[in-house]
Amino acid sequence: MATVVHRRNKCIGCNYCVDIAPDFWRMSRKDGKAVLLGAEDKRGNWVLKIPDTDIEINKRAADACPVKVIDVRE
Amino acid sequence: MRKQEGRIELMAPAGGFDSLMAAIHAGADSVYFGVDQFNMRARATMNFTLGDLPEIAQICQDNGVRTYLTLNTIVYDHDISAVRNVLKGVKDAGITAVIAADQAVIAMARSMGIEVHISTQVNITNIETVRFYAMFADTIVLSRELSLSQVKHITGQIKKEQIYGPSGRLVEIEIFVHGALCMAVSGKCYLSLHSDNSSANRGACVQNCRRKYTVIDQESGNQLAIENEYIMSAQDLCTIDFLDQVIDSGVTVMKIEGRGKGPEYVKTTVECYKEAIEDYYNGTYNQDKVADWMFRLKEVYNRGFWSGYYLGQKLGEWNDVSGSKATTRKLYIGKGKHYFDKIKVAEFKIEAYSLSAGDRILVTGPTTGAVETIVDEIHTDAGPVVEAKKGDNVSFKLDTMIRPSDKLYKIIPAPEPTH
Repeated sequence: MATVVHRRNKCIGCNYCVDIAPDFWRMSRKDGKAVLLGAEDKRGNWVLKIPDTDIEINKRAADACPVKVIDVRE
Repeated sequence: MRKQEGRIELMAPAGGFDSLMAAIHAGADSVYFGVDQFNMRARATMNFTLGDLPEIAQICQDNGVRTYLTLNTIVYDHDISAVRNVLKGVKDAGITAVIAADQAVIAMARSMGIEVHISTQVNITNIETVRFYAMFADTIVLSRELSLSQVKHITGQIKKEQIYGPSGRLVEIEIFVHGALCMAVSGKCYLSLHSDNSSANRGACVQNCRRKYTVIDQESGNQLAIENEYIMSAQDLCTIDFLDQVIDSGVTVMKIEGRGKGPEYVKTTVECYKEAIEDYYNGTYNQDKVADWMFRLKEVYNRGFWSGYYLGQKLGEWNDVSGSKATTRKLYIGKGKHYFDKIKVAEFKIEAYSLSAGDRILVTGPTTGAVETIVDEIHTDAGPVVEAKKGDNVSFKLDTMIRPSDKLYKIIPAPEPTH
């Protein structure tokens, strides 16, 4: 298992994570920032547990993030 | 409105409430600012949020200052409803206008009856494009890469051809007069996107141009000798030494860059340009005053100055240091404690370094703005002292009220930059 953390307030809504991992990420129509699907809000950090098989795709999303607000913690 | 009829409008950047107050106190006619991610300083930590708009609008209305929200990034489909939310916030709060670049933002704002200004990101360089955007916008910010004679031609044609904006007034022309310039034509640089996947056009520029570079001949492996390693870092724009020509070009709004800079920068630049504008209209603008303004402008954040493209210079005015060349810097020494209103004495807690009688200080805060003075007499709990140290509560005479949210800085000479 691994954890994906999204520091959402610093997201600039570039859409890269959605392009790379659409099963995990969507753009919010409300505020134009990315949403980590199914994640839990822990004081502004949105946190989601993922199985090992989903680590790679989320790491690619994290690498593409221009403002580095996505972490994948193993 | 604070702006006197027929006089040029001075527009200041506001990256936060401290800079906003500094701009108002220094005499800005208008301020511009961004919220959340939809502006060219999306990386900045101090952007306002949508919820701040009513307060900003109220403060500025009370002071007769116009408010402009920058909404000038490129916009994707997934942004559309969020942008509409921001525009609704603008409308509800009574913000004067939005500064837009994307046609979607322009169209949505117009359909909601919001005044539109066209951002420099659109790179408007000719009268026909001005005529086109005048269908939607009352003010147009020209490309920063035009010469003043080109600017003058455009303003002349607007009068001659009577080109009106939606408000029914002649369309106004705005130019940047001070602050950072891009090495590329504004908004047409993709360096940051290529190197870091980080689009400057979404406000996330990593400023590749401000770094040092070496040039290597791949065949021989030899490094080529270049005089300045900061080969892409343009110096900052400064027009105060030819501000008469700027005003004579017929522009009606002058804008200072710097939403990412501190309140002391906003205070100093606005004060200098405001004085220069007043002197221009009073017939007292002269080179002695220019020398004084230049001295003061060099004290705050700058990468060295040049006149941009306005006087038709060739490219090659590159900065030769990393970051600022400011001749002074601010040293944080403590925070506000109390203001004794009747005797006009401010008390601070010293948390770092020390404060001595005769020191030049800066106080900044979200309500206070930026206040600068030289302290003559200082007191601690032990009575009058020459120097107050870390841990001391220090008090001194100050005409401006301070608050617990304020920060106290000492202004000290900056060391000569080393390469």
